Amino acid sequence: MRSTLFFLLLFMCAASFAAEDNFSFDTPEQRAQFLSLTSELRCPMCQNQNIADSDAMIAHDMRRKVYTLLKQGKSEQDVIDYMKARYGDFVHYKPPITIATFWLWAAPVLFVLLAFIFIVRRKKNEKTEDFQAKLAKADALLEQEKE
Amino acid sequence: MKKAPLVIIPLVMFSLLVVFLFKGLFSDPRALDSQVKGKLLPPFSLPDLMQPELIYEPADLKGEVTILNVWGVWCVTCAVEMPYLTQLKEEENVRIVGLYFDQDLDPDFGTKTLTRVQQEVTDMLSRYGNPYAFNIFDVYRDTSLDLGVTGAPEHFVIDAHGIIRMHHIGDINERVWSSKIGPLYRALVAEAKQNREGGE
Repeated sequence: MRSTLFFLLLFMCAASFAAEDNFSFDTPEQRAQFLSLTSELRCPMCQNQNIADSDAMIAHDMRRKVYTLLKQGKSEQDVIDYMKARYGDFVHYKPPITIATFWLWAAPVLFVLLAFIFIVRRKKNEKTEDFQAKLAKADALLEQEKE
Repeated sequence: MKKAPLVIIPLVMFSLLVVFLFKGLFSDPRALDSQVKGKLLPPFSLPDLMQPELIYEPADLKGEVTILNVWGVWCVTCAVEMPYLTQLKEEENVRIVGLYFDQDLDPDFGTKTLTRVQQEVTDMLSRYGNPYAFNIFDVYRDTSLDLGVTGAPEHFVIDAHGIIRMHHIGDINERVWSSKIGPLYRALVAEAKQNREGGE
């Protein structure tokens, strides 16, 4: 009984692997290109998955398209541009730098810089204030002694 | 002397953050910018679903304002919108062309025969009404990919010159038609009519 269950599980496991696509490549480099492309292209249907992970039909079709384009001898950038022309910048996990996305990188740096300037300035003010206050105190003491 | 403006800074930043996040509450993360809007239909050469010997090209959609409806029998929402689309066709004489694609038909293996697909389509159309002037069969789903289709149902409003004027993801119901698609469709029809009369 236990062994039957074991074998049943074993076969189910094999079946789940069989659901993946079968693509054959000319060179190992082409396979590597395919794997990297499908991991950095985003599925438009299920938004937090890349097309390698997603089981949506659109992801399936996009994988097939990536494969055929690579087979035609297109470069990785060509494939990315092809997908971007159809699904927009959205489809690539690396966003291009535009005026809108520029702030993603600039805002934290800018914030740190501003905070730094702010702190330095405040320190300076405090010091001069201290100094002035001490000077006033000393003057007062001197005045007192004079009397 | 400079104290007052400095105190305001955190408040201003906080308000900006609140505005930003509040806007985020109402933004639709699934909304995609269509890349085909304002462009001509991508070139294709695809067979009619029911008469495969008939081949359609983008030029066949020109001359009349058309709503291209991407659908399939496996798509539940498509079945839901079908009676309303049929009503639009009958009441407003809207020209709806189907771009049909099949889910089970793996182009590389071809596990499903064309006759079975046709049978399923005929069954479904006889049950829910047939809004289509004709159906284009996107066998390899290439044209759907070219159009930036993410699923079904999706709709493209195409003007008389064959230019895509709107890409609507999701179904067409009364609300969508009266607020979003209907006004554009009527404007385009009026424009096409004017052009035709102007040409004569």
